[in-house]
Amino acid sequence: MNATFTLLEMRRITRDWAGMFFTAVLPAFFYLIFGSTVDAKDATIGNGNVAMYVMISMAAYGAVTATTSIGGNAAVERVQGWGRQLGLTPLADSSYIAMKALIAMTVAAVPILLTYLLGAVTGAMGSVVAWGLSALLVLAGSAVFALYGLLIGTAFRSEAAVGAAAGTLVIFAFLGNLFIPLSGALLSFAKLTPLYGYAALARYPLTEGYLPDGSQDPLWLPVANVVAWALVFGVLATVLVRGGRERQ
Amino acid sequence: MTTATHPAAAAAGVPGVPAVELRGLVKSFAPSRGSHDREVRAVDGIDLRVEPGEVVAFLGPNGAGKTTTLDMVLGLTEPTSGAVEVFGGNARAAVVAGQVSAVLQTGGLLRDLTVRETVRMIASTYAVHAPVDEVIERAGLAPLADRRASKCSGGEQQRLRFALALLPDPRLLVLDEPTAGMDVSARRDFWDTMHADASAGRTVVFATHYLEEADAFADRIVLVAGGRIVADGTTAEIRARASGRTVSATLPLPVVADAVALLRDTDGVRSVEERGARVVVTATHSDAVARLLLLDLGGTDLEIVTAGLEQAFMALTADPRSAMTEGRSAMTQGRSAITTDEELVR
Repeated sequence: MNATFTLLEMRRITRDWAGMFFTAVLPAFFYLIFGSTVDAKDATIGNGNVAMYVMISMAAYGAVTATTSIGGNAAVERVQGWGRQLGLTPLADSSYIAMKALIAMTVAAVPILLTYLLGAVTGAMGSVVAWGLSALLVLAGSAVFALYGLLIGTAFRSEAAVGAAAGTLVIFAFLGNLFIPLSGALLSFAKLTPLYGYAALARYPLTEGYLPDGSQDPLWLPVANVVAWALVFGVLATVLVRGGRERQ
Repeated sequence: MTTATHPAAAAAGVPGVPAVELRGLVKSFAPSRGSHDREVRAVDGIDLRVEPGEVVAFLGPNGAGKTTTLDMVLGLTEPTSGAVEVFGGNARAAVVAGQVSAVLQTGGLLRDLTVRETVRMIASTYAVHAPVDEVIERAGLAPLADRRASKCSGGEQQRLRFALALLPDPRLLVLDEPTAGMDVSARRDFWDTMHADASAGRTVVFATHYLEEADAFADRIVLVAGGRIVADGTTAEIRARASGRTVSATLPLPVVADAVALLRDTDGVRSVEERGARVVVTATHSDAVARLLLLDLGGTDLEIVTAGLEQAFMALTADPRSAMTEGRSAMTQGRSAITTDEELVR
């Protein structure tokens, strides 16, 4: 681990005001709109209330936006020639990946902290375990979407594609039951989409699998979803990243 | 300078260990999916030895295989077959040890970092490196140290890449088309900076398709075309090869055949070509040939043209298989002159 390198990478991210807005501020804003102001916000759900349910969902949305764009931009930088420049240094691929992962996790923590802080002051209620465990699950699970960004960035080689990938997260978030409660056939389909398992798992300490429509997901369902999508993104990213040092 | 050895001292190196040794180097690329192209052999059997302290130009047209060869020297690309040794060891190991660094044609920079931040970032990957400010100074970047890379001109970005390459104080510096896309004055500035710095006994291998750069900066020129070395010699040797003149004259038709035979036996004549009644002779002693043509053979309309380095370059790189097969390039000529003639007939 190389402190100078990591800090300079962090400085690049803090310079990107637009990016920081979409990652950190927007999810917190969404929470205020969808979570803290709705009539049902104090309704009980599992070990807490609806406001907390929305808070976890929005934190998850912010965290994956962060990791997708960091993973994606890392890939684009590499294929656009920075990978060749780094290939001329002693820096090992493994340390590069470790540094980028640390940065992605740090940045993902920002919307989580902000949303949880807002949740705490606007009436999100839940058990202590639910607060702590959900935050950790949101953070850890967001790493899967760094692979998604990496995959898209390597495949399309442009910052625009990475922006689009972060944009598709809105659709995945909708299908992942993050923004509005789904039901019926759409809900059955939604359970197969990439953000569903991640968000359901993060909310599990709060909901114990109960959904707003009263049905319950067994724990294996979100776990299987996360593992399956992690494998899909991981395998595709590995295939595409191979030979990343060679001239494109 | 924080490195232990001075480049001049290091350049002497271990006696007998070349800076770079390439043996039977081949690199082929698979055709892109769906296309009917055959496999592309970017590098098609290169043997080369570069001694410590040499300044070698890789000269050749676009697509000659220069960049691919240098990528293998830098451990960025694995050869399909053949061997690469840098200071007697593995290419990647030499990079990790800071013995080799490079200015790449397509080496990307991070647009949102300033010049100084970029240098600091790359410096942080080395255990031992030259001081950041010293490197910035040596590359002539001090006035722009706080400028974002995206706001630097092409020439300035290239000097930044050069600054990055100076960080490990490498024994071997590889420059891949370092001045491509620069205007004339930026190109001159870049080479001035190079001269000021890298002439201190460092081994330098640079690729270029500008003849004048190879001529002005290198001790030795390796001409590459079609993935092979077509000529290799000191700058003086290559110049000498190219210094012949072309003498042509119109002869009375009946004597042409005899004249051609006579000219071929004349000292210093390299080639004789018949174009109807006109005879075109390439020779080192153009005066003697001119005298022969005019006085002894009754020629008219005499013309003498100096063949420049440019013409030699064109001739040598146009078709690697029919190119000159003498001197050091002897190693590349598995194909004999007969093959060449057959191909010309075809």
